[in-house]
Amino acid sequence: MTVRADGDDMLLRAVAQGDRAALEALYRQHAPWLLVRLSRRCSDPGLVEEVVQDTFVAVWRGAGRYRGTGEVPAWIWGIGIRRLIDRLRRSPAPVVRQAPDTVLSAEDHVLLGVEHGDLGDALGRLSPELRAVMQATVLDGLTTREAATLLGIPQGTVKTRAARARREMRGALA
Amino acid sequence: MTTWHAEPAALAAYADGALDDVRASSLEAHLMSCSACRTALASAVPAAPLLRAWRGVTIATVAPRPGLVERVLLRAGVRDDVARLLAATPSLRVSWLLAEALALGFAAFAANVAPGAGADAALFLFLVIAALAPVAGVAAAFGPGLDPTYEVGIAAPMRSERLLLVRSLAVLATSLVIAGLAAITLPGFDRAAIAWLLPALGLCLTTITLATWIRPLVAAIVVAMTWLAVAASVTAARSDPVAAFRSGGQLLAVALIVISALVLSRRRVVYEGGVAA
Repeated sequence: MTVRADGDDMLLRAVAQGDRAALEALYRQHAPWLLVRLSRRCSDPGLVEEVVQDTFVAVWRGAGRYRGTGEVPAWIWGIGIRRLIDRLRRSPAPVVRQAPDTVLSAEDHVLLGVEHGDLGDALGRLSPELRAVMQATVLDGLTTREAATLLGIPQGTVKTRAARARREMRGALA
Repeated sequence: MTTWHAEPAALAAYADGALDDVRASSLEAHLMSCSACRTALASAVPAAPLLRAWRGVTIATVAPRPGLVERVLLRAGVRDDVARLLAATPSLRVSWLLAEALALGFAAFAANVAPGAGADAALFLFLVIAALAPVAGVAAAFGPGLDPTYEVGIAAPMRSERLLLVRSLAVLATSLVIAGLAAITLPGFDRAAIAWLLPALGLCLTTITLATWIRPLVAAIVVAMTWLAVAASVTAARSDPVAAFRSGGQLLAVALIVISALVLSRRRVVYEGGVAA
């Protein structure tokens, strides 16, 4: 695993030197998950495509600014999610995906082999609105303002929903 | 580090957007630190959008980086093709705008400190410069010789008249803002301080209209010289520094605006083949 991370660091250093092949290698590694992860936060496939493109253009230009602190994927995600929010700010069309509230059967749980702890259950019991806010603020690490743009709701609503979600999860875990 | 890996079924569901939020979040956190699962996920992601985006990345990284003016315009939400055209305008360069601000600032400064007749002369000078600045700006905004993108523009599959209008408007707007700011500093700020506005518009449009027959630079010189001669003689005859900018002059300016607009709408076709060289 560490070897791979070093590989990313080396690729990024080569990109900073203007190595186009290194950029392509980096794209092969990181564009697919970025595309999927952005698609879960924006229902407009054309927009997601543009954001992926923007992100790697920014990587090409800003590779020299990567200081080797933190993992490369997290750095790329930070650029990507902020580019998406930038685009949404410019065209505030209601492109935010409605969180599918799928209920999974016990067989699904077994088949998919994902362990569900207390935390997962608590998160799963939240309403889709509260879960979306938790995902944006806690898991994606966005500011209140960025989360508001991404979800297409006022900043005040983000704050009240985040507070309510925290309260509900505390109750569920107690 | 971690020995846990996502099941192929979970990865496929995630790529399809079918995985529930809780497990998607958990998977996303794992993907950040596991290149094996990232590689496994990649095979489930459709290739077409990735290929299109990569093509875009290639084009954007081969093209030279836009300059400061262009980046500011893009940030302000201007379309990229318009931003490129505006950024290439000679009379929108910082040096040009600085020269205009200096000339107007000097005249306004002189009007403030010069005694008696000197102040009148300075006010006259200020009004003349403010009225002619957009004319000079438009003269340098397009046409052979001054515009580095002139030949490219002629060959481009775009209406030259649009380029002319976009650039003229940008030049006019920046000129008016600079002159307006300078006018605030004039002594006894009153109607005289903005008396240059209509003449500036009239002279500017006349220049654009004439440029359909002759070179923009020549057109600008003809307009500027004619207007200077008229303004100077009227001022001398009435011994009034703003004589050329009173109601007679303003009416003439309005007439120029109307006539130029009419002629320009009929002469548009000339711009299709480039301006007179």
